[in-house]
Amino acid sequence: MIASNTPGRAGVRRHLMKTLGVAAALSLAVTACGGSAEPASGGGNVTLTVTVWNLAKTPEFKALFDAFQQANPTIKIQPVDILADDYAEKVTTMLAGGDDTDVITMKNVTDYSRYSSRGQLLEITDLAKSADTAKLAGLDAFKVSDKYFALPYRQDFWLLYYNKTYFDKAGVKAPAALTWDEYAKLAQQLTKTEGGKKVYGTYQHTWRSVVQAIAAAQTGGDQLSGDYSFFADQYATTLGLQKSGAALDFGTAMAQKSDYRTMFETGATAMMPMGTWYISGILEAKANGKTDVDWALAPMPQRPGGTGVTTFGSPTAFAVNKKAEHADAAKKFVQFAAGKAGAEAITKVGVVPALQSPEITDTYFSIKGMPTDEVSKKAFAPDKVVLEMPVSEHTSDIDTILKEEHELIMVGDKSAADGIRSMNERVKSEVLN
Amino acid sequence: MTALHDAPPAAAQRRPPAGAEDGDRSGGSPLRRALAYLTLTVLAVLVLVPFAWMVSSALKRDNEVFAVPIQWIPRELRWSNFVEIWERIPLLTYLGNSAFLSVTITLLQLLTGSFAAYGFAKVRFPGRDALFVAYIATIAVPWQAYMVPQYIMMQKADLTNTYWAIILLQAFGAFGVFLMRQYYMSIPDDLCEAARIDGLSEYGIYWRIILPLSKPALASLALLTFVNTWNDYMGPFIYLTSNELWTVQLGLRSFVGQYDAEYAMMMTGAVLSVLPILVIFLLGQRYFIRGIATSGLK
Amino acid sequence: MAHVATPPATTAPPHRRRAWRDILIGWSFILPNFVGFALFTLIPMVAAFALAFLDWDSYSTPEWVGLDNFQRLFSDENFHVALRNTLYYALGHIPLTLVAALGLAIALNRKLRGVAFFRTAAFFPYITSLVAVAIVWNMLFNPTAGPINQLLEALGVAHPPKWVASTDWAMPAVIVTSVWRDMGYYMVLYLAGLQTIPKEYYEAARVDGANAWQRFWGITLPCLRPTTFFVVVMLTIQSFKVLDLIVVMTDGGPGRSTLVLSQLIYREGIIEGKFGYSSAIALVLFVIVLTVTVVQFRINERRSAR
Repeated sequence: MIASNTPGRAGVRRHLMKTLGVAAALSLAVTACGGSAEPASGGGNVTLTVTVWNLAKTPEFKALFDAFQQANPTIKIQPVDILADDYAEKVTTMLAGGDDTDVITMKNVTDYSRYSSRGQLLEITDLAKSADTAKLAGLDAFKVSDKYFALPYRQDFWLLYYNKTYFDKAGVKAPAALTWDEYAKLAQQLTKTEGGKKVYGTYQHTWRSVVQAIAAAQTGGDQLSGDYSFFADQYATTLGLQKSGAALDFGTAMAQKSDYRTMFETGATAMMPMGTWYISGILEAKANGKTDVDWALAPMPQRPGGTGVTTFGSPTAFAVNKKAEHADAAKKFVQFAAGKAGAEAITKVGVVPALQSPEITDTYFSIKGMPTDEVSKKAFAPDKVVLEMPVSEHTSDIDTILKEEHELIMVGDKSAADGIRSMNERVKSEVLN
Repeated sequence: MTALHDAPPAAAQRRPPAGAEDGDRSGGSPLRRALAYLTLTVLAVLVLVPFAWMVSSALKRDNEVFAVPIQWIPRELRWSNFVEIWERIPLLTYLGNSAFLSVTITLLQLLTGSFAAYGFAKVRFPGRDALFVAYIATIAVPWQAYMVPQYIMMQKADLTNTYWAIILLQAFGAFGVFLMRQYYMSIPDDLCEAARIDGLSEYGIYWRIILPLSKPALASLALLTFVNTWNDYMGPFIYLTSNELWTVQLGLRSFVGQYDAEYAMMMTGAVLSVLPILVIFLLGQRYFIRGIATSGLK
Repeated sequence: MAHVATPPATTAPPHRRRAWRDILIGWSFILPNFVGFALFTLIPMVAAFALAFLDWDSYSTPEWVGLDNFQRLFSDENFHVALRNTLYYALGHIPLTLVAALGLAIALNRKLRGVAFFRTAAFFPYITSLVAVAIVWNMLFNPTAGPINQLLEALGVAHPPKWVASTDWAMPAVIVTSVWRDMGYYMVLYLAGLQTIPKEYYEAARVDGANAWQRFWGITLPCLRPTTFFVVVMLTIQSFKVLDLIVVMTDGGPGRSTLVLSQLIYREGIIEGKFGYSSAIALVLFVIVLTVTVVQFRINERRSAR
């Protein structure tokens, strides 16, 4: 079952499979069990299979597929719907088992690095070097020793959401250019108890990126380096907010599984740093009457003395399975999704495309329900978007250590200094040794 | 030899049908009875708190589910969730699929498990105990460890994305064999011996004597197997790709998105998916507490 | 182990034909289950264990590395932490669940109006959605606003534990939740076991003047030994394999304070694709559980023999 490449074992396996097949046929010819009956494609038509997550809840996929099928009438797309929560696990298992699904969606860069380093994806360097993709944000993240195995079609980055009602009440202007100190002060000013309900100045979600990735992006620190002293200022800010009660404390947030949408949509917080993916979520919630929060966007707060707006983000991409049944059609799709037509299609459903141009930004802000003020538009065009977590063979091991130590600092088990020291030691001894 | 074997051989046959409660505790003074109810009620409340939360969340909006502090009674009861869920996902199909899998697997497990258990408990042959240890040993290995070899095997046999994969993987579990064998061990061998002398074959003993005597154990095994299959998430997740083959547990997880989740909808679905199990439990619990004498030997 | 009553019949000189007949009959009972079991569980499992001696990431050609994976294991701090946590969990979960399940079964094995409701209620935690269980218990254990800590403060505890937000108390919180969740499951097994105790035993004991406590120790407990043995073995195995509840409740945190072996197997294998290393951990876990189980068998055998 293991070694498919050595001839001897392959023979054993084939024999076993035969036995297995016979046993299955004999003992179980009882009822017909549902199969994956794929309609036979005739007349040169191709049915392209694409792995996606939560098809019904992720409108960008349908928008892309519809646009692509319209442009290529001979290709029919059949989505392979996988639950978002355990997407990586299912895809890992499928690829290990030799599945021949054509297009594999790369939910994040870390998974991409795993699949590409295992040689499970088809090289598409030629597509990446073609002219149309020069403006593709996040493309660099997919470069593995001068080769590309995926093209991004979507690029999310972080900005600051805020509740306009609370800002107006406090007489505060739109936060066009905050430093972290000003942000912390503002959070304290906006913290209050209203009608027996506590309103926090800000809510920082429990993910480590909220502290660590932004620190790396704005100080230029490297999260794979094994030296994490550049986290110190950001931890001081965050722990200060928590201590003063201007942000929900981490322990409570964790125990309560505090959901950031609940915090923002029920008006439990005045500000919230979060990714652009939430724009389509909150647009939908408002359109359905699930919340009446009056919201707008602002750029992420910056370090003092910095120039321009620096934030972090991560791209989403399509790749071609090395064992794809229809590799050519699959490449066509990947190129389409990363190109102009693909970008337009997903922009209309509120998703930020990887391909960026002024027209696309205009289309984006013309969506019904989007805030139209200048600060929001400015927030949407940061000067620099740094990759959330750099990619290497050590990425996921380091990620785990940083997450564990982050929790220990945030629950007060360790001071920030001790936590950073043990990040340094653990990453050096357990991963980089 | 268990203590039971010291009992008078015919003890099992003479038992009155009332069940095996320890004497008069049930019929004590009114005060004691009231005390018993009070204790049980307190326990029941403690045990049912999460279920209450499930029901309460099922009647909320998504963004109210985690509001601090906990709202036990929602401000506005959204019964519409229970209507909406049928439109959002093909819940009826999912329920049907779960029922099909659970019933098939439970039946196969009962049949093959109780049959094999007889071999392990009542027939003596060389190698039997070693084989039995191998059975139990496999229970000790976490499924994650051999998930990939299993998947590769199923993929090569072209059984992924069919119910065969789930049925074949789950219907022959060692758990059922172990449970039934333990139960058979507590049935005195003298009964079998007597039947042998009467000229019954081993299969006859299994069918006419042991099986009827083991109704409580069969009921327990059926219940536990059914519940485990019904609630299984990872198996169907890995093997069933086509949406029309999905089970309830997969259907409910489709409310979890990449960055957020519709918790109210999930809880609505969870409440609905627990109902069939409740019915099964209420029906089944009569069997595993009813005295075996009522169904025992003639 | 597998101790069977030995009536005089077997001590008679064994006839060869009889022996062969027994083998055939025995296997004819076991075979239908064994075929499925061997093909779909045993073989993949043996294959997985073979992986422990290979370096394989699901796509490359597997390479024989001998005991390298095991050597790495002993210097891997994650493994040490996970092993310690798993033992901690098992030592808390096994005895507490056993006592709770037996207590429930005895309390509910009686004739009372509405007892069916209470039995169902006790089984409820096991069938309630795991996500709901984790969320609710996290709320109950909430360090600032949770009812448990509010109660403790009312009772005069100045600094109640921070439970899931503390490295020292996260594991006890997980254990309490898991005992609560699993007790109904084992109660079902005990209820079935209680049915095997003949009522005459109690009547005879009462005639002899034994009180309820003496009847419990003298009759109930000894007669339940086959069930208890089964429950202990299953509890042991399940405790060492614990995964689901921990993933949804704490995900191994804070830090590594609730990281367990199954989670490490899952992480190294399925997530990281280091199937060889992950199998090595699984093999070690398997050997530990097997040793414990065999000891339990031996103890059971010795007790039964008495």
